[in-house]
Amino acid sequence: MSSLNITDLNAGYGKVTILKGITLSDVKPGEFVGLIGPNASGKSTLFKSIAGIVRPRTGTIRLGDIDLVTAGRAQRSRRVAYMPQAYGCNAVLSVFECILLALKQASRWRVSSDDLDRVADILVELELSHLADKGISQLSGGQAQMVAVAQTLVRQPDLVLLDEPTSALDLHHQLSILATVRRVMKQRGTIVIAALHDLNLAAQFCDRLVLLGSGEILADGPPGKVLALSSIEEIYRVKTTLEQTRRNTFYVDARLSA
Amino acid sequence: MVANTDVNLTRQGYQTRVGHRFFALALVAVLLLISFLVDLTNGPGNFPLPMVLETLMDRNAHGVQMEVIIWDYRLPVAVTAILVGGLLALSGAQMQTVLNNPLAEPFTLGVSSAASFGAALAIVLGWSIVPGIGYMLVTVNAFVFALLTCGFILIATRVKGVGTETMVLFGIAIFFTFNAALALMQYMSSEDQLARIVFWMMGSLARASWEKIALGAILLSLALPYSLFRTWQLTALRMGDDTALSLGIDVARLRVEMLIVISILAATAVAFVGTVGFIGLVGPHIARLIVGEDQRFFLPLSVLVGALVLSLTSLASKMITPGVIYPIGIITALIGVPVFVSLILSSRRERLS
Repeated sequence: MSSLNITDLNAGYGKVTILKGITLSDVKPGEFVGLIGPNASGKSTLFKSIAGIVRPRTGTIRLGDIDLVTAGRAQRSRRVAYMPQAYGCNAVLSVFECILLALKQASRWRVSSDDLDRVADILVELELSHLADKGISQLSGGQAQMVAVAQTLVRQPDLVLLDEPTSALDLHHQLSILATVRRVMKQRGTIVIAALHDLNLAAQFCDRLVLLGSGEILADGPPGKVLALSSIEEIYRVKTTLEQTRRNTFYVDARLSA
Repeated sequence: MVANTDVNLTRQGYQTRVGHRFFALALVAVLLLISFLVDLTNGPGNFPLPMVLETLMDRNAHGVQMEVIIWDYRLPVAVTAILVGGLLALSGAQMQTVLNNPLAEPFTLGVSSAASFGAALAIVLGWSIVPGIGYMLVTVNAFVFALLTCGFILIATRVKGVGTETMVLFGIAIFFTFNAALALMQYMSSEDQLARIVFWMMGSLARASWEKIALGAILLSLALPYSLFRTWQLTALRMGDDTALSLGIDVARLRVEMLIVISILAATAVAFVGTVGFIGLVGPHIARLIVGEDQRFFLPLSVLVGALVLSLTSLASKMITPGVIYPIGIITALIGVPVFVSLILSSRRERLS
């Protein structure tokens, strides 16, 4: 099992620098990290840097004994699974095939019996088996997002990056997708980093919150501590009151500041 | 642990599907074989079926005349129909996957009109990019111009990305440019040359030869296995660039590699038979309806359907008026345009909903 350490990461596009010296230490296996921060704070760029889609200018991203920045494409994609934002496609593929193709990228050409088992397992695990033969383009937004999650989990990576996994979902599906991911990743000891806009969802499901603002990490710690900071009010430009619920989770009551 | 029965049921659903797909492949292969044989037995002369079959088995069974008709004429035409249909459909299927555009194929992207211009240039001016090629002049020139156009498309995708609208607009631009240049060639040509240009543009299987067949067969037998080797990556490309990248695929490199393969396939097919439009659209479109876009099945079935459609077209070109063989380009356009329009209408609907 490998932990994640990001040291002094700088990244950007062309002349624009997005990430400025990101350092994130000792994310342990089985830890659910919520990445919060306003729009354009660099959440997607951070994910893309870790997933190898954006090449960082400087810094290291160590997952266990390998540096993801210098690792090869194949090695990196075996360990890291990234679910991009704004999921949607018009391919004529069934849900089963979509998950199978995600699994097959890192293994032999032939589809083995074991491959079919793994795809079927994850479909049952995420309660998607009734959709297995449906076309991907016929799914609702929520169903498609669950399929995208299944595509990342089926590969049994050490690190899963979810870019706004709840963006297209109603309340029930928001809760169910995060609860399912949490259950599976705790069983397997996977690291999950999820970008979330809803601070209350983040507070309820994450073990640790990382607050990103203008490409820098402004806070890092347990939800109760991070959400209580006055910098939350500054960065989101709102007034907040943090309340503890009866289930011992936190609730952020936010109002527009005058 | 999850219930084992659910897992097994889910597995079985997929395995049944795969079974159906192998059946579809086999069925189309059988239909293709039938169409090929019927194509061979039809044509000017009205020779009885046993006579044709016996000449196929033994060249000398019914004298020199039959040997020439079957072995030098009908067989090359029938084989070329299948081969070119397969080449066009394979390049169309891959263009659609790689450019993420259901309307892409050699004809709609202007590759065919570029080839026509190349051919006209050779016919009228006797001028070629590759010097000293003698009787192959027209074919080679058509090939080179088709290849250059594919190269242009490749560069365009590197510069502008692969937006659906952009690509089709590029195709239209190429189409009109070469049509204008072609009109100029026609204006400058003599009556005899004009007839040759017009005939070339119509697309005909009458230019079949065993050399071309050998070359085409080699290409297809290299390109199809190569594409199948890349099949998981190609299928993943249909999930969108971001997902493909996140799965560890070098999307840019895959696209360039495939476009090079496509260019050679499309340019060869077009140079062999002239403008034969819409096979690259109809073949993949039908294949997609039957087996979806798992490229392990989609690519082979596209090849088979494309071959079947062109083989049937070849048959139709002989049967409309007995004794007359119509240029196949005319017939494929008449079949292809309704499919093209229905594709535009359906993709429009998808975007709106």
